[in-house]
Amino acid sequence: MKFIGIVGTNAKKSYNRDLLTFMQKHFADKADIEILELAAVPLFDESDDQSESPVIQEFVQKIEAADGVIIATPEHNHSIPSALKSIIEWLSFKLHPLDGKPVMIVGASYSVQGSSRAQLHLRQVLDAPGVNASVMPGSEFLLGRAQTAFDEQGNLKSAGTIDFLDSCFAKFMKFTTIVSAMAAPAEVKYQPGTYDVVATGHNGDLPMSVTLSDDRIEAINIDTSSETKGIADVAFKRIPQEIIDGQTLAVDAISGASMTSNGVINGVAQAVKQAGANPDELKKRRQNAAKPQASVTDITTDIVVVGAGGAGLTAAAKVLQAGRNVLVLEKFPAVGGNTVRAGGPMNAADPDWQHQFDAIPGEKHTLKEITEIDEATIDADYLPDFRALKTQIKAYLTENEDQRGYLFDSTLLHRIQTYLGGKRTDLNGHKIYGQYDLVKVLTDHALESVKWLEKIGVNFDKSQVTMPVGAIWRRGHKPMGDLGFAYIKALQPFVTKHGGRIMTETAVKSLTTTDGKVDGLIAEGPKHEKVVVHAKAVILASGGFAANTKMLQEYNTYWTAIDDDIQTTNSPAMTGDGIRLGTSVGADLVGMGFSQMMPVSDPDTGELFSGLQVPPQNYVMVNQAGKRFVNEYGSRDELTQAAIDNGSLFYLIADDAIKATAYNTSQAKIDQQVAAGTLFRADTLADLAKQLDMDPAVLTKTVNDYNSYVDAGEDPEFHKNAFDLKVAVAPFYATPRKPATHHTMGGLKIDTGAHVLNTDGTPIDGLYAAGEVAGGIHAGNRLGGNSLADIFTFGRIAAANALEDELTVAEF
Amino acid sequence: MKLVGIVGTNATSSTNRQLLQYMKRHFASQATIEIAEIKDLPAFNEPEDRTAPAVVQALSDQIAAADGVIFATPEYDHSIPAVLKSAIEWLSYTTRPLISKPVMIVGASNGSLGTSRAQAHLRQILEAPELKALVMPNVEYLLGHSLQAFDEDGNLKDATKAAELDDDFTAFTAFVDLTAKITPANKFVEKNQQFSWSQVANGRDL
Repeated sequence: MKFIGIVGTNAKKSYNRDLLTFMQKHFADKADIEILELAAVPLFDESDDQSESPVIQEFVQKIEAADGVIIATPEHNHSIPSALKSIIEWLSFKLHPLDGKPVMIVGASYSVQGSSRAQLHLRQVLDAPGVNASVMPGSEFLLGRAQTAFDEQGNLKSAGTIDFLDSCFAKFMKFTTIVSAMAAPAEVKYQPGTYDVVATGHNGDLPMSVTLSDDRIEAINIDTSSETKGIADVAFKRIPQEIIDGQTLAVDAISGASMTSNGVINGVAQAVKQAGANPDELKKRRQNAAKPQASVTDITTDIVVVGAGGAGLTAAAKVLQAGRNVLVLEKFPAVGGNTVRAGGPMNAADPDWQHQFDAIPGEKHTLKEITEIDEATIDADYLPDFRALKTQIKAYLTENEDQRGYLFDSTLLHRIQTYLGGKRTDLNGHKIYGQYDLVKVLTDHALESVKWLEKIGVNFDKSQVTMPVGAIWRRGHKPMGDLGFAYIKALQPFVTKHGGRIMTETAVKSLTTTDGKVDGLIAEGPKHEKVVVHAKAVILASGGFAANTKMLQEYNTYWTAIDDDIQTTNSPAMTGDGIRLGTSVGADLVGMGFSQMMPVSDPDTGELFSGLQVPPQNYVMVNQAGKRFVNEYGSRDELTQAAIDNGSLFYLIADDAIKATAYNTSQAKIDQQVAAGTLFRADTLADLAKQLDMDPAVLTKTVNDYNSYVDAGEDPEFHKNAFDLKVAVAPFYATPRKPATHHTMGGLKIDTGAHVLNTDGTPIDGLYAAGEVAGGIHAGNRLGGNSLADIFTFGRIAAANALEDELTVAEF
Repeated sequence: MKLVGIVGTNATSSTNRQLLQYMKRHFASQATIEIAEIKDLPAFNEPEDRTAPAVVQALSDQIAAADGVIFATPEYDHSIPAVLKSAIEWLSYTTRPLISKPVMIVGASNGSLGTSRAQAHLRQILEAPELKALVMPNVEYLLGHSLQAFDEDGNLKDATKAAELDDDFTAFTAFVDLTAKITPANKFVEKNQQFSWSQVANGRDL
């Protein structure tokens, strides 16, 4: 038998250590006792999880591998020492190696008490549900007056004491055998067959079929149509694979897709239960514990990119196009970052293309309003562009005075709208607007990014021009199918086919520098192995921090409050890692207080694409009383603030014709969501109102008024800027919505070459940043569709400059 | 009356800290409550010179200068957190400021039991001869479901629980006054306030 003996103190001199050492020697022919010490164990702190540290891992792995544990405790202040309590807290927090483990308690003390009170406390502690050890009852071994108990060879002097210890130990060996038998997983037998079950995923139900033979889980098939592409794919592949490989339900959820992972596990558990077996037995079957690898992976490459979202993969593709090596590190199991969660359309003014579309009602009015803006309110750096834009608009309005006209656009309009949209004042009276040179680069090169993406393999739907929520103008280039995943679907294979290496589940921990130049980084791989990367340049493309509520709250100077339980539309990976890495080498930050809420998010998940997401000209927003409350064509901030003022929860009302303009869904998904109660549908407005606990008369009047505004082309109530369809054709729909954190505008300060700047305003040698990790462009508010324009434009620029500066590759 | 409230955890977010903050505000007219943190204390390891590190000395001085001490303890694994045990070990091994000091125990937990087992352990610990605190008998303030217990202004939502705390605190102030009368300043204060487990070995069980 193999036992672990824990010396229950960190003291240099301990009679408990002497006691365990004696037991180790004395029982050597019966059992192998390995003694573990507490001196290196940190004080438990739930706010600073160190479960994965080598010292805690040593305890976890050795205890898991042992047949039982012997704890020798002194008594301090009538209880166990804090050092012993601390290791037990670590072993009952995230990891539970003592669960079901046979434990023997012994104790030695100076006083005659021999640790009697401490032993009673220790029993109660080991009985706690988080620890759940199997402590041997009776046979209380108390060694009082321990300072007189041992001879010079460290042997117990008293024959009576040794006899009693022998009997206690013999009993513990028997106890261990019995407890092990109890803990051994029972044989599991299934009623063979294929079981159809429904589990809950991130976006709703996951229909699955599980095939069981007499004693094995043979196959797991999942209908994945309702889950967002790209995010959950890894969970759908890996979780069933691990369940089948290990014939166990004790598999770890995949970070970033934990709801989906647990949905799959629970679905299989249901099938097992239906087949007459106990799923708990399968949860007891532990996987072979992944052992941390001590080995260090050492990689040398030309350029290393942190983050495998749209910006990172773009930078990587650009490096490969120049014939250089690139390594992309991604902390999550799946690539795609937030880009796979994006709606798809990216902004780029392309007048030649846009001119083939007719203007829609309200757009001319919006243009006219721009010409009427007081120049005194325009910041000096934008004034020349603003004047040039006014000339363009006036010419367009004159040309089309007597006709509907075509859709107007220009890079100047894109630039000025980005500037005006980003202009904000925070709660402290601090004014911010997009840095001119960065906004100019963005708007001048966005169309080039569209064309570059087409070469990489992204197909855009040229037949329609769209306006994402909060975009203010129709200049969205929408990729065919798959929303934001369409970009990743093209970029990822491009990178891998051209020899780029993408390492997932590899989190960057720190940057390395030599004489002030960033020349690599240190990361941790999926098995906790250290990954050291040497490179000529590092490109940070790790996204913002919208999934880090604490960090948002810490920097926030814009919203009156950010709730602790606020949902996010973002991938949970967006925790501000790149910002931390940048500042660790002296980077400056800009605009950190400004964050953006997505007003139209799922109230329960923060998800953007549940329900019916239609173009904003077709939005009809009503509050919980059934009344409109805002100009639906307004900026995201206006929508968010209005929603907060109306109790956060509100509804998007649609009819069958508006439903047809939804860019996110299918009839099957709609039916599923209606059945799940996350989307409401009725044949009359009155019935819809009843489902929403609204007064039918109020909702009906609201919709009738709205329809009359569409006819008139003007909304006297809220001045909605653009309309399209009326709400008239049954069935009618209501999609519940709430604001959720969506984008963080602040970040690392960069120049037009995507160099990260230090607090003196000079570039940090070897360090570049692209995408949401960088700040300065979107200032106080980002226009919808501009984030994709940003990542693909600055992703390319970061790579081009890194190549030119560090590898003397001229722009190609 | 001057009291020290010890937050019995190093967690960044703690309803025991919230409870003490509430008591500090709510009982401001009856007593001054200073809130003391233990999160920056090092882990206890018997120092050879038996000298308290500066942070321990500071906590000890704060306790010595107070009329009484309130411990707010969470419950970890049916007992008090290691970090609180460590703080108590420092005090018992070096400066022993809790000798004859009136102590009130409160505790908040997210479960329904509200730290009942931890409080029982803490009581036994504080009564150990190395500590010799005077823990107020008969009063046990257990705040269960503590994550839902406070409103946005940090006040207790449940009027019954708030009234119970009012009664317990009034009883504690009376207990502090009473013990001051019945324990002459030097009655239990040993000449050598330091304690060592090896003293017991020399037949000096405390």
